[in-house]
Amino acid sequence: MILRVPETEVNGRLERLSDLLSPIVVKEVRQMVRGREFNYSFSLSIIAGLIVAFVASTYATTGAGESGARIFASLMACLSLVGLVVAPLGAFNALRNERMERTLDLVTVTTLSPRRIVIGKLMAQAVKLATLFAALAPFVAMSFLLGGIGFPTILFSLAALFLWSLWACAAALFLSCLSKSRAISALILGAMIILLLFLFAASGMAAFVARSVFIGPRGGIGPGYPSPFMSGSGDLWWSFVAMAVICVVTMINLILLAENRLLLPTEDRSTSLRIGFFVQFLLILAAAIYPTLKNPSYPIFAFADSLGVLGGLHLATVALFSVTEELELSRRILQQNRSATGWRRYLGIFRPGGAWGAVYVLVQMAMFLAVGAHFLNSSSNEFSWLVAICAYICLFTGLPTWVGRMMVKRHFKPFQLRAGILLLIPVATLLPDFLMYLFTGDFGGIYSGRHVLDPFRTLSGWRYATTAPWHFLSIGLGVIGVVSYLMLIRMGQRALMPQKLTNDSTH
Amino acid sequence: MLEVNALVRNFGGLRAVDNVSFKVGKGQVLGFIGPNGAGKTTTMRILATLDLPQDGDARIDGVSVVEYPHEARRKTGFMPDYAGVYVSTTVAEYLDFFARSYGIRGAARQKSVEGIIEFMGIGDIRDRQVESLSKGLQQRVALGRAIVHNPQLLILDEPAANLDPRARIEFRTLIRELAADGKTVLLSSHILTELSEICDEVAVIEKGRILATGTVQDILRGLRRHRILSLRLAGKNEGIERFLFEQHGILKVHDAGDSGRYQFEFEGDDTAQTALLQRIVGAGFPVLEFSAQDAGLEDLFMKITEGRVQ
Repeated sequence: MILRVPETEVNGRLERLSDLLSPIVVKEVRQMVRGREFNYSFSLSIIAGLIVAFVASTYATTGAGESGARIFASLMACLSLVGLVVAPLGAFNALRNERMERTLDLVTVTTLSPRRIVIGKLMAQAVKLATLFAALAPFVAMSFLLGGIGFPTILFSLAALFLWSLWACAAALFLSCLSKSRAISALILGAMIILLLFLFAASGMAAFVARSVFIGPRGGIGPGYPSPFMSGSGDLWWSFVAMAVICVVTMINLILLAENRLLLPTEDRSTSLRIGFFVQFLLILAAAIYPTLKNPSYPIFAFADSLGVLGGLHLATVALFSVTEELELSRRILQQNRSATGWRRYLGIFRPGGAWGAVYVLVQMAMFLAVGAHFLNSSSNEFSWLVAICAYICLFTGLPTWVGRMMVKRHFKPFQLRAGILLLIPVATLLPDFLMYLFTGDFGGIYSGRHVLDPFRTLSGWRYATTAPWHFLSIGLGVIGVVSYLMLIRMGQRALMPQKLTNDSTH
Repeated sequence: MLEVNALVRNFGGLRAVDNVSFKVGKGQVLGFIGPNGAGKTTTMRILATLDLPQDGDARIDGVSVVEYPHEARRKTGFMPDYAGVYVSTTVAEYLDFFARSYGIRGAARQKSVEGIIEFMGIGDIRDRQVESLSKGLQQRVALGRAIVHNPQLLILDEPAANLDPRARIEFRTLIRELAADGKTVLLSSHILTELSEICDEVAVIEKGRILATGTVQDILRGLRRHRILSLRLAGKNEGIERFLFEQHGILKVHDAGDSGRYQFEFEGDDTAQTALLQRIVGAGFPVLEFSAQDAGLEDLFMKITEGRVQ
């Protein structure tokens, strides 16, 4: 049908223009416009817009001022439902069906890379969102005309909602790649629907979007001190830019995570992902540093808090996945590493493999501590807290991985090691108190030396922990963690030394 | 055109592909036969760059599938044992999508899709949704998809499965036309009679190992040193069995009952076979038919394979 359009100049030009688009976008949009989901969403959006407009008009005729703000809030709620629930579910299904119907293999053998496939799917959702937003544009314009809301607020709110909707679609695409099993995939889909509806119902999407614009880097956690991105009304533009950067960087990482899941295990699945997460790490450092540079009276504990919490969570997640990667690499990756030219030769720490993963994490930890040392007194509690965060991450990710590899060498797969680490944390947290109760009948509960293996209690009460006589134990645990990282690096070097060309049977 | 060299692929402790090597020339059709679980699909997925061997390599027109998978993909068309269709997509759009995915742009893409529609004879169904087509038509469209970027090598995994006899014959014709057009075809099938009619050569694989390669007749010749000859006389002749036993080169005689048909194993070349016929006629036996039994691919398959799976 598409290929038999009359040969007019306009059609020819459109056909040529479509070459600029991703093939996935072209296909998805063709399928979308014939699908029930889009038609229902479109019709319901229009009906909702008409109802809101009717109610608002009635309200406006009573002489009440500023009814535009109410209309806009209602329209934002409608658009939020479409953008944060309907579109992500569509994205989830788009990639899930591709895997379930096994058409993904057919696309994989073309010249399209997994990254282009994921981006294509995301862009198709962007087209859908843009169409639905455009459908409600006349009603949004009406809200402006009725007064009570400014044009910049409308613009920024719509842009923010559009961005976060795309982010939700990227997250949905990643989730759809998590399992090849129909049952697990259906479970993930069900969990996602429940979560999205819960979020929508519980938090109120309009408020969520507004908060995402005005919120500071602490995300509303902890004591209230002014958001560094929002000290005055003139900062609306910069706060939007900051939010957009956070949204885009994390969205890119979600795309890279989805790509990582779609790539064959024999391909280089790490380099781009590691670069993406490194950029995210730099962003976290910048977010922590920015308020101290902007406002000299910004509390130093707040800087340490944001750096420690955000940076620590980032490092822990990255370490969990990087250090546990396979030590041996596939033939194709070895070949690519050998034939790397130009700037690719300098991407050492981003290269795949558990050994490079350990180096990658250690480099980020060094940067994390260097930033801390620059802004904090190196003998302060705050700085030693940052060191302790790194030490516990090394201990809980490095030691189990090293022991696992030493004990059962090649038989522990990455996901087994990761599951082991995730199990170890609650064990370390609960076991001391459980043993105490078992032997003495006293549950205890007061923080003491036996809790030194519990990273949460130790780090949350760090000020007390540093004054305890058994403080040296936590230092010892940290040293063990760092040594295990060094051992993993050595183990990885040995694994690659004979240029083994095996270990592709892991999937 | 296709050179497979000592491919090895393990899945955990299982060796699915064990030192597999073979070659296929340009414009040739190679049938890949073996029981279920023999390693056919794994080998084909390696050649289609969907999997990577632990050892060995395969070169498609000189391009290594291990080192340069992206270049190899441009030279290869892959059709797995399922159609792989999209919902809410017409035949023309389906082919158009894959042409775009192979990086074919503008007028070249339109020309390519139109060419495929014409070649595959699917002009009548171009605006029908792919999912609503019969299996035979879906297979046709799938073959069109595999060749939309004009590959030099076609890898077809069980292409004739689930097709009715007419669709099979049409499919066979298409494959032969593609081979005549210079495309190298590697296809697997369980329908051995089909393969014997399409293929120039076969490769028999079992438990991940190639057991034999070559033409069916060459392989059979290598397998058995004697021929099975068939003789039909006009009516029952009592003395024929004894006569045959007395002839040089005859190993075993099977009496076929009252029909006057006899089968016997004969060790000798064409000249010896001619001389034998002359002696039978000279001895006064009323010969109606005398022929060498035409051994088929099924005989070969049964002789070579043991029927064991991994």
